[in-house]
Amino acid sequence: MLSFGGTTEETRSDQKLYLDGRLTEIACLDCLAKVRVKKNSEHQTSVQWTGGSLEQCPEFARMAAQPGGRPVHDSCPRLMASIESAVLEGELEVGAADGY
Amino acid sequence: MTSATTEARSLDGGTPPDRFARGWHCLGLADSFRDRKPHAIEAFGGKLVVWEDTTGELNVLDGYCRHMGGDLTQGSVKGDEIACPFHDWRWGGDGKCKAIPYARRIPMRARTQKYPTAVRNGQLLIWHDTEGSEADLDILPPELPGIGTSEYTDWTWEVVPITDSHCRELIDNVVDMAHFYYVHFSFPTSFRNVFEDHVATQFMESKGRPDMSGGYGDADLFLKSVATYYGPAYMINWLDVDYKGFETEVILINCHIPTGPNSFTLQYGITVKKPEGIDDKTAQYISKKYAEMFGGGFLQDVHIWKNKVPVQNPLLCEEDGPVYQLRRWYEQFYVDKADIAPEMVARFEFEVDTTKANEYWHEEVTENLAKRAADAGSEGDVVSTGSTTGGGSTTGPAES
Repeated sequence: MLSFGGTTEETRSDQKLYLDGRLTEIACLDCLAKVRVKKNSEHQTSVQWTGGSLEQCPEFARMAAQPGGRPVHDSCPRLMASIESAVLEGELEVGAADGY
Repeated sequence: MTSATTEARSLDGGTPPDRFARGWHCLGLADSFRDRKPHAIEAFGGKLVVWEDTTGELNVLDGYCRHMGGDLTQGSVKGDEIACPFHDWRWGGDGKCKAIPYARRIPMRARTQKYPTAVRNGQLLIWHDTEGSEADLDILPPELPGIGTSEYTDWTWEVVPITDSHCRELIDNVVDMAHFYYVHFSFPTSFRNVFEDHVATQFMESKGRPDMSGGYGDADLFLKSVATYYGPAYMINWLDVDYKGFETEVILINCHIPTGPNSFTLQYGITVKKPEGIDDKTAQYISKKYAEMFGGGFLQDVHIWKNKVPVQNPLLCEEDGPVYQLRRWYEQFYVDKADIAPEMVARFEFEVDTTKANEYWHEEVTENLAKRAADAGSEGDVVSTGSTTGGGSTTGPAES
């Protein structure tokens, strides 16, 4: 059982909404790694990676090969460009219809 | 209208966790334990004893003697061991009973709970895991280069016991953009989060509110902050502070030890990179001032925590940070290691849009300043009331 688990069905559906709602799968134009993305506005962006997509990203692999390893803080610039392109192509909807 | 959204929402307090978090926890500055005396630390629902042995090693055991429950923290250090004040049983840092002076033999099973230790950045850390796993040295917080040398001031270290709050309230701050305006009196102009593995980071740029003093309220204060939790309880916050054009590199450690199901001890420390051309005494003074400022910030949080209710189903708006994702990350420290789900540790990146919030906030601040100017019967100049920030005591005229 989850330590901080919610006690109601309503809470579980909120958790689903906020964690998984409106996430759109986007593939990186360079390495084809797939992430799930939500964009509420031009700036507001959520990017959900998986273990597999992380391994597939050559940019992160290149960073990891540097002395001191990959700086966890940095985004992959190629993926960020791919997300922008997905918005331009109309593949990724921008906006928060449900208020979040 | 039959829509469910017209129904009143209720707050779900959730179920309290059944354990304390797995990971490295900081007990305080290592040197504060180096006096060959036993020290008591409340932690994990009980009490720990900390002492230094003759080799300079710091040892941490459960605070109660396994013989008859005597309080080891009230005992004494004899040689390398801690001696119980009740019957003088001697316990070693490895958790084994080393001697019972009045007995012919030591019972075979004379072992107590020991906590693996590490010293990082001049602080004593211990590994805690209800599963009793071996300490994971790979996930120790990093050593900060230059700390402990003459490049940086000594740590200014504070300890604040907090009751009536679960330590997750403190963790929630990692994603809480808007509370910086309302609780800490600053405008966050840029706000980002990254969670991955056992690490969670907040990136923020902010400037102080000119209509407020205390906390970070001060028109001349600009912060560039990177704050990273390494595990559940130890955060390093790198801060570039610009106060009236005077730039300072500040490092803030924000760590805590859970003491009970609804209480924890907050500890925070400040060190400042000594600015060139400034003598040590002045540098230490600057460090103390920043400790007061950030300490004031924590107290603002504490007041909120003590009076709020726990909520497992927060209702979010667009400008809020990823509370649910942060809590999913935090959950990894409260389940058995074998039960850590991939999504708890998967990388998650987030950027909040602060545009709308800042538009509104600037309007509000302008109104506040105008109101205050009218009340004071003067125009433009505004005198603050006893600011404790960054060595300054007055705010300038409104700039926006």
